[in-house]
Amino acid sequence: MCKAQCLMLLLASLASWSGASAQDVVLVANKGVKISEITDADLRGIFMGTRTRFADGSHAVPVTLRGGPAHEVFLRNHLSEGPEEFRSQWRKVVFTGQGAMPKTFDSESALIEYVAATPGAIGYVSRISSQVGVKLLTTVK
Amino acid sequence: MSRRIYLLSRHMLLFLFVCTCTRSLYAQDLAGTGIVVHAYVSQGFLFSSNNNYVSLKSSEGSPQWTDAAVNISDSLADNLRVGLQLHMYQLGEFGGSNIQVDWASGDYRVNDHFGIRAGKVKTVWGLFNDSQDIDAVFLWILLPQGSYSTDHKSFYLAHVGGDVYGSLSLGKRAGMLHYVAYAGQATIDLNDGYIQTFAQLGLVFTNSLGGKTYGGDLQWETPVRGLIIGSSGNMLTADGTAPAGSFHSPALYTPSMYASFTRGKVYLAGEYDRIPINATLTLGPTVIPFVADERTWFAMGSYRLRNNLQVGSYYSHFVNKSADTTQPANYSKDWVVSGRYDFNSYFYAKIEGHFLHGTALGYYNSTNPNGLAPNSNMLAAKIGFSF
Repeated sequence: MCKAQCLMLLLASLASWSGASAQDVVLVANKGVKISEITDADLRGIFMGTRTRFADGSHAVPVTLRGGPAHEVFLRNHLSEGPEEFRSQWRKVVFTGQGAMPKTFDSESALIEYVAATPGAIGYVSRISSQVGVKLLTTVK
Repeated sequence: MSRRIYLLSRHMLLFLFVCTCTRSLYAQDLAGTGIVVHAYVSQGFLFSSNNNYVSLKSSEGSPQWTDAAVNISDSLADNLRVGLQLHMYQLGEFGGSNIQVDWASGDYRVNDHFGIRAGKVKTVWGLFNDSQDIDAVFLWILLPQGSYSTDHKSFYLAHVGGDVYGSLSLGKRAGMLHYVAYAGQATIDLNDGYIQTFAQLGLVFTNSLGGKTYGGDLQWETPVRGLIIGSSGNMLTADGTAPAGSFHSPALYTPSMYASFTRGKVYLAGEYDRIPINATLTLGPTVIPFVADERTWFAMGSYRLRNNLQVGSYYSHFVNKSADTTQPANYSKDWVVSGRYDFNSYFYAKIEGHFLHGTALGYYNSTNPNGLAPNSNMLAAKIGFSF
């Protein structure tokens, strides 16, 4: 009985642990973006400034949150970067004249509004209640 | 003492003034026009146990070290961008109040594989050449001086000409290649350390000197996440005429090989560079050979203790192989420990200790009239602001 209880407890812990690690942001893109899935490599290229186009050749406009848990989860899970490293990389791009920093937003609602209105825009939020003007993207390895 | 307090006050006031002015520019684009403004400013302090470093009176403690830049850019189309960056710096006797165009370019990106950048463009070479004066992106206050000398940077930082650049995917299992190739004209600024070195030899330039430059950089983003391996090469000539004589440096090839690894809170990097110089100075009827075989390498590592706190260390090794490498004047070996604290996304402070052996780099007669001690320890500190 005791063993069974311990096993149940262990399984419950594992389930909650894997649930926590699976917590991810929701990728949103403008409705006009034709792709519905994106590789982590493409996502990293677009958000780190080495790619300006989606896999189908259309122009990509990355946008980010200024900070907060969703921003950190996105950087960690999809770009393998911390917030400081991400900021430093973009400062380097901007101050060497190699590119322009992604537009950043203080709130998720403002980011979704911008993505909905901007062709090629791609961003992320912690959750989404309405998909008006945006589509959800899934990531593939 | 009162002059030092005056200088410190003046530099701090300049720093605070720029910070105050720029706080209102957090907005990313000017009134929704799409024109974007960014800026940085930093104020440094250097104290050394012996010798005066990079023309600062560092043995007394010197704050005469200010850097500031502002840039403005606009995307005229999805694949066409123009921009300009103005830069001013004061490093002891170098730099000054003159504002320079750091870069000014138009950038047309045909696709991710091919783009063209033209105008005054930052020169890509090694790990840090194009970004070496952007203090805000580094943990380090002074980068390894054998490769990225603070007092000689004007010649290497940028060229007037053009770049082609792009990225090529090698497939899921082989990573990506990033390339840059360039050609143009590089100039030694009259406020640069090289000009003072020539003046010490009796050649006082009143017009800036320079020459043609071309080269490239190939960087492999390996399939091992965070591992980058790269190589750069640069050909550079320099010619100049002064009232008392001239300087001529035929094309010299400077190769660089480097690697960096980033994973989570850890950063590791290393680089090997070689600068073989075979120039001549002509002073009246006298021709003086100006020969050196400079070889330098460094290894560095850092660890992020918290989101806003990073520590690290590097060792930098420089020798002039064409001279007696047992003499302190022909080598420079530097052990460095650094720490950086970010108060928020905009303000940061850094502190750094240097344990410097040899006198081959960073010293000038004008600030060391009584000669040099072979070793020196230094404490550097900086505060900075960037948006």
